Amino acid sequence: MSERLLVVDDEPNMLRLLKTILMDRTGYEVATTNNPLEVGKLLQEEHFDLVVTDLKMPLVDGIDLIDIIKKIDPGLPIIIITAYGTIETAEEAIQKGAYDFITKPFRKETILITIKRALEWKRMQGELAALKKQ
Amino acid sequence: MVLKFLRRFLKEEEDEQVRLQEKFQHFRALLENNNRALELMADMEEKLSGDYLFDTGYLQTQVEQLEHSLSRLVVEFNHLTQGRYPELVPLLARLQAEIHQELAAVPEIPPTPYILPLSRLSREMALSVGGKMANLGEIGNRIGVPVPPGFAVTATAYKRFLEAADLAAALEERLARARIEDLPSLEAVSRELQEMVRRAPLPPDLEEALLKAAAALPSPWLAVRSSAVGEDAEFSFAGQFRTLLNVHADELPRHYQEVVAGKFTARAIFYWKYRQFTVNELPMAVGVLTMVPPRASGVMFSRDPQAPGENTVLISAVWGLGKYAVDGTISPDLFQVDRGAGHVIRNRRISAKPVALTCRPEGGVMEVTLPPEQAQAPCLTDDQVKTLAELALELEEHFGGPQDIEWTVGEAGNLMILQSRPLRVSTPAFAAPGRERPREPAAPPLLTFGIRAVGGAAAGPVHLFFHDEEVADIPSGAVVVARQPSARLVLVMDRIAAIITEVGSPTDHMTILAREFKVPTLVEVGGATKVLHPGQMVTVDADAAVVYPGVLPELLTPSLAPDAALRDSPVFQKLQRILKLTAPLNLLDPDSPEFQAANCQTLHDITRFCHEKAMDAMFTPDLDRALESSHIARLKTDLPLNLFILDLGGGLRVSGQPQVEEADIASRPFQALLRGFHHPGVTWAGLVAPDLKGFISVFANTMYDLGKGERALGGKSFAIITDRYLNFNSRLGYHFGIVDAYLSEERNDNYISFQFKGGAAAVERRERRARLLKQILDDLGFKAQAKGDLVQGRLVKFSLLETEETLELTGLLMAFCRQLDLALANEATLNRCLQAFKKEDYSLRCLRPES
Repeated sequence: MSERLLVVDDEPNMLRLLKTILMDRTGYEVATTNNPLEVGKLLQEEHFDLVVTDLKMPLVDGIDLIDIIKKIDPGLPIIIITAYGTIETAEEAIQKGAYDFITKPFRKETILITIKRALEWKRMQGELAALKKQ
Repeated sequence: MVLKFLRRFLKEEEDEQVRLQEKFQHFRALLENNNRALELMADMEEKLSGDYLFDTGYLQTQVEQLEHSLSRLVVEFNHLTQGRYPELVPLLARLQAEIHQELAAVPEIPPTPYILPLSRLSREMALSVGGKMANLGEIGNRIGVPVPPGFAVTATAYKRFLEAADLAAALEERLARARIEDLPSLEAVSRELQEMVRRAPLPPDLEEALLKAAAALPSPWLAVRSSAVGEDAEFSFAGQFRTLLNVHADELPRHYQEVVAGKFTARAIFYWKYRQFTVNELPMAVGVLTMVPPRASGVMFSRDPQAPGENTVLISAVWGLGKYAVDGTISPDLFQVDRGAGHVIRNRRISAKPVALTCRPEGGVMEVTLPPEQAQAPCLTDDQVKTLAELALELEEHFGGPQDIEWTVGEAGNLMILQSRPLRVSTPAFAAPGRERPREPAAPPLLTFGIRAVGGAAAGPVHLFFHDEEVADIPSGAVVVARQPSARLVLVMDRIAAIITEVGSPTDHMTILAREFKVPTLVEVGGATKVLHPGQMVTVDADAAVVYPGVLPELLTPSLAPDAALRDSPVFQKLQRILKLTAPLNLLDPDSPEFQAANCQTLHDITRFCHEKAMDAMFTPDLDRALESSHIARLKTDLPLNLFILDLGGGLRVSGQPQVEEADIASRPFQALLRGFHHPGVTWAGLVAPDLKGFISVFANTMYDLGKGERALGGKSFAIITDRYLNFNSRLGYHFGIVDAYLSEERNDNYISFQFKGGAAAVERRERRARLLKQILDDLGFKAQAKGDLVQGRLVKFSLLETEETLELTGLLMAFCRQLDLALANEATLNRCLQAFKKEDYSLRCLRPES
């Protein structure tokens, strides 16, 4: 079964490109929204394996989203997309529990590799948890 | 007492040292901003390669920074030249305004009638009628596959609707007032705005057009669907496209409003709330199609998205309307059909389909229970399955990629396409993206280093390019190999294969242009002009920074065109348009009469013009005034030079002393020049030049001025210095020489300007000396020219060490040539001198008559 990604960015053009790239010969299923307010609802209604979110958005920024997501699914890896020059905030995001961040503009390969690593990390966390239960 | 102090104080203020220091500061700032601007341009061009994702935020930041650098550049430039080029200010302002316009531009709604019949639509009209209707028009008109009769209500109609009765203003006002805190409050605003759209009066002309168009269709029963402009399968505000099925033509205006209202979803509200709401952005077009009472309907994929290697078309089908095939109400029939000729049905799963969605005679849709024998029966005959598979492949071929297609079969068995859109095909395994590196070619490489300035690979015969004026001689398809970058290569960039230069950087003028023309370019390939021979076939792999002998087809895979999704993205296109105003270089040749401020057409032109003219401005300081400075120190030296120094900062290790020694000099370029003067091979005193007509003794004391020209300098040589700058003016014998140079870690800043003229000999000999100097300067990497007895050259953008070394050789050259004019009686002597200099023999023994 293919892995499902949720991509959140308030700029529709970026969403469109991200979806195209993330679905191009990767096997991922990708859902998108430009509306960070509905992320909680989407995560409760559907299963996702990973969230990619822009950092700077109106009303609810990427940092707020980390809290919201962690409350719903603490094991869900989150990748933050930041603009050049906002490295401090990106570090804050990592401290809050984001898996990694990438800086805009970025190469297609960069985000694909980051996602791949994050999904592997998630699988390993799952296996670790299963081992601990035994 | 006070007066005396004041006079002294004022004198300090007026001292030429202070003025020159300021001038130098302006020059420094100019260089910094020039570099910054070139870096920004190179960075933006790199983003057009298709490898990067960027958003409007990136464009805004880059444009802002570019604007800042250019404005500073022009301000510093006008300080430096004492306001000599005021025309640059309005010129830059105009360009910046144009760039801002591009940055802020929203796609215009193309003016069309309110209604466009489906029979007139094609793919290119997506901006007028939305992607869905434009594609359907393409299918019916260009591919000739049946589609239902219908029409599009255009974006122009949407604009008319929203602008009539101030609906847009009301929506905008409500949006501005809306307090959004969470999802429920957002959804409440969305519902409110939708209601405003539903209740707004439709302009009478639009209503009439809708009714008239509907009446002209063969059936009064219609399907009304959204066909939003700028939204597609990858992103839509609606999430799901809205479709109203089996509605009556008389009611079309109301249904039209309903579909338009559907645009104002929570996602759209969120978007518009935090941006300027404009009618022109993301308008809603609507498709109106005749309702075809269906026997069966469904969707098909021209390729299995989960298993593209399987080579199959997937078809799903239900009785009645297609909605149940996709929303999971019932399990549809599934057909897996071979894509190969004959379209063998490889697999079929006939499901029990107890119910169907059908058209209600009085309008709308209803669910009907099917008799058991129909429920169990396949909804398609084998022939229909094969015909559908054929259509799927036809659509895939026409649109250039796998398609996700909605189809229907009417009561009479007639097949029709309702929609076709691109299908994203996945492979289950994570496929390594990007270009795979081909196997290492068998032939050992000729060169294995350099900096990739423009990526890609290309092959062709080597053409060595040394002189700008020979640019027209470059043959088509050549791999151009040069000592240093030349912006003039732009004249042939549309027809050459690749560029290799021994020096250069990814941000120099030439590279910026090469990127625009997508010419694979390697810079910093030291020794390339020696290793590669004219006519030799080579393959340049700029990505790997390797040059191979011969043609290696395995490396020459066509470079991947940027992803269509990226190319079509509005941000990408915006960047393209902004770069058109930014990157092209029109001022190619500083010696051309066209090289003028008024001819700058792009930001790149402005940087080029300012940089060139700034070096000119530094070249000739006002020596009359400089010599009056009270901070001048005399250099104590063994050299037969009456040399004075004015330090503008960091050029000397001591300060306030009337006399300094060579050891006190901290200026790196001045040290280099002096090393050249001190070269052990140079003979400064004694017999220098045996002329064929007899020996002329030239003693060191003739180094002092005897002429009447250049009065300011008198018999002095004069150096204005900083830690990394040198302006050296000297009278050597009857010759007047200037060296102006800058040395730093920043390659783009480095330059040497050189000039030499005058002499005591006859014009013919002085001219011969000028030609000799030009040839030597060319060999050293200068762009040089000789006019009469004047020779001028400039060397730019070499590395710190290369520039420093060349500066030393420049000093050596000045010493070597200082009285050669007297001896250069003929061309043979000139050639002997040239050869001697090349062989590092500076003793001038070459002037002795051949025995």
